[in-house]
Amino acid sequence: MPNSFAPILDGAHAEFISGAVSINAASCRPGGFPALARGVGCRVADDRRSVNVLFGATAAADVLDGVRRSGAIAIVFSDPGTHRTLQLKGDDALVLRIECGDEHLVARYRDAFVAVLAPYGHTEEMVRALLACPVDDLVVVHFTPTSAFSQTPGPHAGEPLAGAR
Amino acid sequence: MVRLESIRDCLEGVVPGNIATCAPDGTPNVAYLSQVQFVDSEHVALSYQFFNTTRRNILASPYARVSVVDPHSAAHYRLSLQYLRTEDSGPLFETMKVRLAGIASHTGMSGVFRLLGSDIYRVLDIEKVPGEVVVLPPVHRNRLSSLRACSESLCGAADLEGLLSRLLAGLARHFDIEHAMVLMLDETGGRLYTVASRGYPNSGVGSEIALGDGIIGVAAREGTPIRIGHFAAEYSYGRAIRSGLEQSGVRGIETEIPLPGLPASCSQLAVPVMACHTLVGMLYAESAQELRFGYDDEDALVTLAGQLGAAMRVLQHSHEVGEEIVVADPMPLLLRGQAVTVRHYAENDSVFLDGDYLIKGVAGSIFLALVRDYVEKGQMDFSNRELRLDPRIRLPEISDNLEARLILLARRLVERDAPLRIEKTGRGRFRLRVQRPLSLVQA
Repeated sequence: MPNSFAPILDGAHAEFISGAVSINAASCRPGGFPALARGVGCRVADDRRSVNVLFGATAAADVLDGVRRSGAIAIVFSDPGTHRTLQLKGDDALVLRIECGDEHLVARYRDAFVAVLAPYGHTEEMVRALLACPVDDLVVVHFTPTSAFSQTPGPHAGEPLAGAR
Repeated sequence: MVRLESIRDCLEGVVPGNIATCAPDGTPNVAYLSQVQFVDSEHVALSYQFFNTTRRNILASPYARVSVVDPHSAAHYRLSLQYLRTEDSGPLFETMKVRLAGIASHTGMSGVFRLLGSDIYRVLDIEKVPGEVVVLPPVHRNRLSSLRACSESLCGAADLEGLLSRLLAGLARHFDIEHAMVLMLDETGGRLYTVASRGYPNSGVGSEIALGDGIIGVAAREGTPIRIGHFAAEYSYGRAIRSGLEQSGVRGIETEIPLPGLPASCSQLAVPVMACHTLVGMLYAESAQELRFGYDDEDALVTLAGQLGAAMRVLQHSHEVGEEIVVADPMPLLLRGQAVTVRHYAENDSVFLDGDYLIKGVAGSIFLALVRDYVEKGQMDFSNRELRLDPRIRLPEISDNLEARLILLARRLVERDAPLRIEKTGRGRFRLRVQRPLSLVQA
């Protein structure tokens, strides 16, 4: 279905969530029980209408199960240095196979995140272990963000981004 | 199931945790956590700072998922939690408030983070998330063996002074804690006074803080240990002392003796010393290093503080039984040199030697009694027992802390380089050794 709305994400948002930020996702399982997993990379569609977040399928099994059942997902992106934080939500999420080049995207994300965390005393070994994932375990969650909120701590935390519906 | 106490290092917030919740319509939400507090093996507390989606969801449905990461090994765990209640006062709340102040200061969020409540959750399950972990070298110190060695050392103390010096030496030797102090509760004024310290250029013995001021004062008031890993300006010494004194309307002599403390203290651990569920003092350790003290250090120091409190009581009791009243043996007063003016102010029992502040309070009244007996009767030898019976000294009937006051007084005389000293001469006995004539003035 053609989307007549402008994308929620502007170019700066797209760049932010595709960068060296921490990624954590939640979905809802039957009975209202939340599921939670860490993402290992993010790619935004050229038109910024859809977002693709990469996960290790084994570690994120619960989240993926919730996504498959309901399509609902919430993902929070945060820059450890500035605490700038953005949450996206969508209700049409799909679990897909990775695309060509995604394994390199995950590797680049890991390298960048290592560099971002180094000044805070986190060893490269530790950060690489935290984000380690075999390529054949990688999956993509593809969704259209329908709402976006700033969650940067402070008086504006929780406010929808300008343009969000 | 992974036990909560075995993953406590993951709760220090070095790697920020996350919390996932669900709205009644099934919309998930995920947010960062600034604080996960270990309560006991089945409960954690999360900080409630804003009325946000997480809170709205939790009040509608009590289930949450929280992820925490070991900052060294990258071991990753997910906790399934059930919200139980919110506390907005009491020891847990105050502990989290102090810790949050440190976290806020560290993350540049001072003025943004404000604790509204401590949300208590039951831990339903802990899942180890599949993934790689870093194999870590063996821990530098085994806290249990350190605790055992330090505890054994305390058992050999014959008196309070020995007990305190053994404790501070033991902390340095067995725990690598180089900066520590012990404060005693002044039951009469609701204040704490430093009785022993280690690792500071000035001992600060005799310095005071009010209950509720700084991390030590808050921990004392609440009767709970408080540990922070980052500098918290709101609870730093300078501010604590200043605000405490301003509130109590007292100025002047309280600031004569500065509280010892590291100027760049990042890690602080304040532990109440309890005897039979009653606060008798505080044990405090600090370090310029961030995140220096962990949960295991806290456990060890709480255990040592318990032994310290019990030992203080036992020693006091044994001295009461063993002490004899000394029959005064007048000595000729053949001292030379200019007389030292000992000026005593009755309003607060403060004492000045040649205009320099020495001591006040109960220790001041003890000193006055000693000087008066020396000047009027030539008495030099005294016993703790006679001081306890002396109507001029208003000691509390229970837990009089007499020995602590004598240690304080003796130390202050040495530090002021005063021409008179207190020297122990036996169990529960001491001598006032005077080098110049004394002139007592009552102001």
